[in-house]
Amino acid sequence: MCGLAHYFESEGLSTVVVGFVREHIEAIKPARGLFLDFPMGRGMGKPNDPEFQKKVIRAAFELLEAETGPVLEDFPEIIPVRDGRMGYALPPELVLSTNDIGDVDKLVAAVQGEIDALFPDYEAAVAARGRTTVGASELAIKDFAPFISKFIRGEIPKSPRKGLPAIPLLKLVVEDLEAYYTETRTHRDGIDDLELMGKWFWEETRAGQLLLSLEAVSIVSENKVMLQIVEMSLMTPRFWSEGPLPGSSAAGW
Amino acid sequence: MTKISEMPAVGRGFISNLELPTFDNLAWTTSVPANQRRISIVSTAAVSRRGDKPFSWLAKDHRTFHKDDRDLVMTHVAVEFDRSAWQQDLNVIIPLDRLDEMETDGEIGSVADMHYSFMGAADPVTMEKSAREVAGQMKQEGVNTVFLIPI
Repeated sequence: MCGLAHYFESEGLSTVVVGFVREHIEAIKPARGLFLDFPMGRGMGKPNDPEFQKKVIRAAFELLEAETGPVLEDFPEIIPVRDGRMGYALPPELVLSTNDIGDVDKLVAAVQGEIDALFPDYEAAVAARGRTTVGASELAIKDFAPFISKFIRGEIPKSPRKGLPAIPLLKLVVEDLEAYYTETRTHRDGIDDLELMGKWFWEETRAGQLLLSLEAVSIVSENKVMLQIVEMSLMTPRFWSEGPLPGSSAAGW
Repeated sequence: MTKISEMPAVGRGFISNLELPTFDNLAWTTSVPANQRRISIVSTAAVSRRGDKPFSWLAKDHRTFHKDDRDLVMTHVAVEFDRSAWQQDLNVIIPLDRLDEMETDGEIGSVADMHYSFMGAADPVTMEKSAREVAGQMKQEGVNTVFLIPI
């Protein structure tokens, strides 16, 4: 992000960057940078809080008044993060092995039950917001769990989406599944709490169990890409954990 | 303040070991007055219009969306950042409504028609060609100010 700013600035465009890692802004030296002590994923700070969002924008645009640079300022308000982590992380001890998976058909049926139960509230959330982020995979919601279950059974199925191989598609399906749950719950219960949403989805739902089962299969997979996506925390949220996923070396990092 | 040294082990290791780009010449373009600013957003959230080609994991290219587009999806490779916020409100990562309001109130000149998205996980040096293409498109529509927002 800070690097891109240099290219735009050199093209005669004035730039201002906001960023979450102050050390990186200091090192890369974009023309104008505003450090935000917020969780990643929340650049304007707070969803559905126009005044707070405008405070961030105004603080950033204030830097455009500087006559020389580079300029780096800190936004004065902090949105605390937990234990230095910038997002939810699975507890290190919450790891499944392939022996824990059990009957995949029953697990898929349980997930479908959860999906069905959430559906009226999901529809209400979409209607209220006028949008949904679910659907990057382009699979139907009813197909999420069956598609994921094929990988848990050790298959690498043919991708149903032209131009997108099965494993990159799997990642999008996993993210769509989580988005379906969290979009529904944040609206239904009026919750904006990333730690609570992560804990609920990953630790308490059957969908979370399905994905931990997928992780268990992936970490012993002979498919290098399947192995890589769990070793690099690209599927399950372990990036902010205190150690690598057991059975992996985190060598990808 | 969240410092790299205070982050948990896996993230700290990754972030502290990133090879950061360096620039010999620090470019500087003096800003026009606030009421003359035409502003385009550049996001590294790897968002795109529904139906667009998903970003590849280390994509060098970009996607374009109109200021009225709200039906965006995300195909960012990383999952370490919170996605529940943008699910609730697009403005928390791409504040198009806020910029619209600021235009109406005269705080800025205008909001550009087109805005841009990149894959933040990729090395920015590999994106230079694409970034310069974007700069050309911006200048064609009279943009003079770029607001860069990570995910």
